[in-house]
Amino acid sequence: MANYEPPVTDYDSIVENCTCAFCGCNCDDLDYLIKDGHVVGVRHACRLGASKIMEDMDQRLMVPMIRGEDGELAETDWDTALDKAAELIAGAIRPIFYGWSETSIETMHHGLELGELVGAVLDNQATICHGPSLQAVQNAGYPISTLGEVKNRADMCLYTGSNAMNSHPRHMARYSTFPRGYFRPRGRFDRTVVTLDPKYSDTAKMSDIWVGFEQNGDYEFYNAIRAVLKGKKLQKEFISGIPKEDVEELAEAMKNVQFGALFFGLGLTHTLSKQRNIDIAIQMVADLNSYTKWILMPMRGHFNVNGFNIFMAFETGFPYGVDFARGYQRYMNGETNTIDLLTRKECDVFMVIAADPGAHYPGGAIKHLAEIPVIQVDIHWGPSTEIADVVLPGSFVGVEVGGTSYRMDGVPIWMKKAIDKPESCRDDEWIIKELLERVKKIKAEQGALASK
Amino acid sequence: MTYVDKPAIPKVVKFDEPNAKLRNKLDVMLNTGSDIYQGACKKRGSTLKDEYRKVAGVAYMDPKDMAKLGVSNWDHVKVISDWGEVVVNAAHSRDAPHEGTIFIPKGPWANVVVSPETYCCCDPTYKGIMCTVEKTDDDVLLMADLMRAVYKKYVKDEEGIKDLATLGEMPVYKKL
Amino acid sequence: MEYVLKNGIVYDPANKVAGEKKDVMFKDGKIVDSVSADAKVLDVTDKIVMPAGIDPHAHVAGPKLVVGRIYRPEDSRKGVTHKTDVTRSESGFSIPSCPSTGYRYSRMGYGTVVEAAVPPLEAKHTHEEINSIPNLDIVPLSLFGNNWFVLQYAKQNQIEDLAAFVAAWLKIAKCYGVKIVNPCGSEAWGWGMNVHGLDDPAPYWDVTGREVVTALAKANEMLGMPHSVHVHPNDLGHPGNYPTTVSTMDALKDIEKNSTVRGQTMHLTHAQFHAYGGTSWRDADSGADHIADYVNKNDHITIDVGQVTLDETTTMTADAPMEFDLYKLSGLKWANKDVELETAAGIVPVIYSGKAPVNSLQWAIGLELFLKVNDPWKVCLTTDHPNAGPFIRYPRIISWLMSNERRQEMMDNREVHPWSHRRTSLASLEREYDFNEIATITRAGPAKIYGFQDRGALTPGYNADIAVFDINPNDIDPSRNPEAIEKGFSTAMYTIKDGEILVKDGDIVKVVKSQTLWTNVKGMEEQEKAVMERVMPDFTRYYTVKFENYQVHDKYLPNPIVTEVQAGK
Ligand code: SF4
Ligand SMILES: [Zn+2]
Repeated sequence: MANYEPPVTDYDSIVENCTCAFCGCNCDDLDYLIKDGHVVGVRHACRLGASKIMEDMDQRLMVPMIRGEDGELAETDWDTALDKAAELIAGAIRPIFYGWSETSIETMHHGLELGELVGAVLDNQATICHGPSLQAVQNAGYPISTLGEVKNRADMCLYTGSNAMNSHPRHMARYSTFPRGYFRPRGRFDRTVVTLDPKYSDTAKMSDIWVGFEQNGDYEFYNAIRAVLKGKKLQKEFISGIPKEDVEELAEAMKNVQFGALFFGLGLTHTLSKQRNIDIAIQMVADLNSYTKWILMPMRGHFNVNGFNIFMAFETGFPYGVDFARGYQRYMNGETNTIDLLTRKECDVFMVIAADPGAHYPGGAIKHLAEIPVIQVDIHWGPSTEIADVVLPGSFVGVEVGGTSYRMDGVPIWMKKAIDKPESCRDDEWIIKELLERVKKIKAEQGALASK
Repeated sequence: MTYVDKPAIPKVVKFDEPNAKLRNKLDVMLNTGSDIYQGACKKRGSTLKDEYRKVAGVAYMDPKDMAKLGVSNWDHVKVISDWGEVVVNAAHSRDAPHEGTIFIPKGPWANVVVSPETYCCCDPTYKGIMCTVEKTDDDVLLMADLMRAVYKKYVKDEEGIKDLATLGEMPVYKKL
Repeated sequence: MEYVLKNGIVYDPANKVAGEKKDVMFKDGKIVDSVSADAKVLDVTDKIVMPAGIDPHAHVAGPKLVVGRIYRPEDSRKGVTHKTDVTRSESGFSIPSCPSTGYRYSRMGYGTVVEAAVPPLEAKHTHEEINSIPNLDIVPLSLFGNNWFVLQYAKQNQIEDLAAFVAAWLKIAKCYGVKIVNPCGSEAWGWGMNVHGLDDPAPYWDVTGREVVTALAKANEMLGMPHSVHVHPNDLGHPGNYPTTVSTMDALKDIEKNSTVRGQTMHLTHAQFHAYGGTSWRDADSGADHIADYVNKNDHITIDVGQVTLDETTTMTADAPMEFDLYKLSGLKWANKDVELETAAGIVPVIYSGKAPVNSLQWAIGLELFLKVNDPWKVCLTTDHPNAGPFIRYPRIISWLMSNERRQEMMDNREVHPWSHRRTSLASLEREYDFNEIATITRAGPAKIYGFQDRGALTPGYNADIAVFDINPNDIDPSRNPEAIEKGFSTAMYTIKDGEILVKDGDIVKVVKSQTLWTNVKGMEEQEKAVMERVMPDFTRYYTVKFENYQVHDKYLPNPIVTEVQAGK
């Protein structure tokens, strides 16, 4: 056991029931071990959660910076950095404020006000992950439930296009597969787990049934299941590479459970049929409800990616990619979304809050970011810092500052603060509010000038 | 303490695979996406470091494909698509077999070769990209160097990029 | 600041003022008897003056609404308006965004709205939305009718423990009262089933809707809550459901009322959806007679109607099995949202059309209920927004209630399908509401039903929540001028909230933060503690959040209005 690490015993205090600020599972049962104002250990978190909480301080953004003429970032004071950012935003014609999925709802409130003021596009990571899912939801419906329903009732859990063991490591342990629920007192033994994935993924390895259909075979496969559910005979011997008898058997099994839950991930949204894959998965779940109970749920990635969609929907009526350029909100998928705006080279100032486009956008979109000013609000030096012109160091929601987030199933959670932030950093909420105030001031001055 | 140590990749590439006809270039389908090592490394914030290059600057391949190309673990390969080309490490996939497809975890290296095309539905095409893989002696760049070499945002002499000193594994900025 | 609203025609049913010309004065946010000579005079000569409106049942904030908005951009696109110097841009028709909701109610002269369905697990979400709705006070009701703990207490008939549980949970969710939706049916939906009628037990729990409703009503009275239990009975929307409705009301007949501020022990909500005769949609007809009859003869019941407005709208209710049935009927996209241990919810778009026989029947049944319940204090104006139509149609409904001519015209010229008169008695109902009755069903009545002691009347000391409409009641014949009535009530000349002018001549001139009403029960602390200790092991085992993170912290109610009640008193 070369990697064995002894448990941390040297700590001053424990803060219980903290919420993990990583994936959409929002596990709220973490214990932080605190020593000298730092988290020195985490209990209950998975590898991902722990890695974020036990962050690498080498790359922690500690001071505001502005990129100089020489192309190098240089430390500056908060006032100068905020003024510079405010000036860029106030002068922008087509600004995008992107990110938000790793910060609090409280921060979003100020961001939205700023966006409405200057006529920005507000968009979040959904645009590059579950955007097609939301589109599909708008086409075909949204039969979901909270995760506790799955834990207490589900006797079949089906993962499709989602490698939960890698992207949401405690999902199976905490919500779906392993926990003992009211009607599933034996936990794992009371449930059948199915994984549909071309890859024999780590999740597939944990499952009772693995259906390894062909790459891009999703749509055809669900279509076949729907056909079987509707009592049709399959004409082809193989459906997406799977023998038709197996498809029929699976459909029959799905029909005969008491409560089924389908979790889907980016494997569906990122293949060619995109939202159409989800359309048909939703319709399949709706069909299944004529026989028994089924729900589905997108495996949302960041801890507040769903939060942003919810927040924007109740504030503006639209979940993401909301464009205020005309003085009212517009939402057109594929038109008012970040990647499209960047590849069309429309955007002239880009602010990224708690996200890393440098790490996650296709190069074709980043190329435009290389041509315009980029403002970054984040906690770590990352690929986006390499293309940023103003850098504003924020603080860590759920560790250094409290905030509201929404779990993948829409359950709201207050993520409390456990330790103080580094002295030279500021809370995201404060930063965005400051920007708002400063932009308001610039606009007021411009207004006064214009009226003279 | 680190949370990104990976299990050792088994060295199972067999060059005597019966159908492993050595080739210079393979046509493959590229998938990208999250994997736990990349995710952990990214979120703990150590993206400048070699550990990030190891977890995200890597193409996971079917051992048969590796055999055809004559590469072993941590050999460098160049992946070329319609949108760009990038040098990454080759490594044996834990999810094999899946001949003809490679997997690069999401990150700056994958970004260079994926498609920004959203087909009017907001989401770029991260999976199912047709590309080629070939063996190369070029280095796999560290994150900062890669960003500089690909996007050239702050370089004045674009020709001279390859001669510039590396930006290294720690943040580079002027302190007050 | 002091103000006088001068020379208006005042309708203040709670104070028995019915159309008198008199001044209304207010100072520092409250109604007063007299003001000094410095008071600012607002000339409202011959205009209608009423207390600000109170909507006793709507769905304006929370998880269901947001699912609706996320999955129906086509609805959001309908109501988009440009921002102004005062207001933000608006969106939505049946499910407006939070700011739009506040502005639109405010323009109609409303000041208070009840959000009728809060699942405690997601109460933080509801409160977040409430905070984004401007210009209104919001009254959230918490869902109890399918809560697992409630099911157990009801089955064992442990009323005192149940009362302590309710008291504790209202503190946790920060809600005003007790809502029951399809008792046991939403739990059955956890398995894709429903219960049929009041005596069909929930699967596994072996407890019936009758037991749950009765137990909660008893607990509610034991606590002396300001509002009675608020009941959406079983079998909503099913032909032949009126007997279930009548037996639900009858089940609570003998429960002793323990409140001086309200008259009822049960509020039946959106009665229209529960007043159907027949056996299927083929032979369905009106059951309004039976419901109205029961309400007329019994004083423990009040109702709101849930009037169908003949619009495309979005239905959303904790009665999730009903929504699935609706989806199967219409084929329009189905959303569902079940909440662990607490409730379910379903959402389906609906197009209520005057061409459709069933929708026309529903339209007529709603109006029948309004016209057949004799005492306007027992019936309130609602559309169960957005279920039977959006709240912005209230003025149109008022115009229908005030004009028999208009109703007949709609039936005659086929704006509604003949089922509206063939299968109901609407054509024979000549009653027309007067302005005082309108003020009762939209203001005074709801205030009484909720036990409000600070609004719904122009009593000195009450909040200065006042609406002025540009209608001269002595000069207009509402029977002949339905359009003018609708227009007059759509855009208030003044909406005044806590003494501040928020709307002038139909435009928002000021935006203020919303306030949230909730009920804090005192005097059961010991029992509450004991109950919490007992439920905690199950809570930890079966919920997926920690109790610490489940509660609604005070932070989510920046502007609370707390009603304190002494249990048992
Ligand atoms: S599963 Fe997700 S939320 Fe839970 S500990 Fe792991 S990373 Fe954090
Ligand atoms: Zn309702």
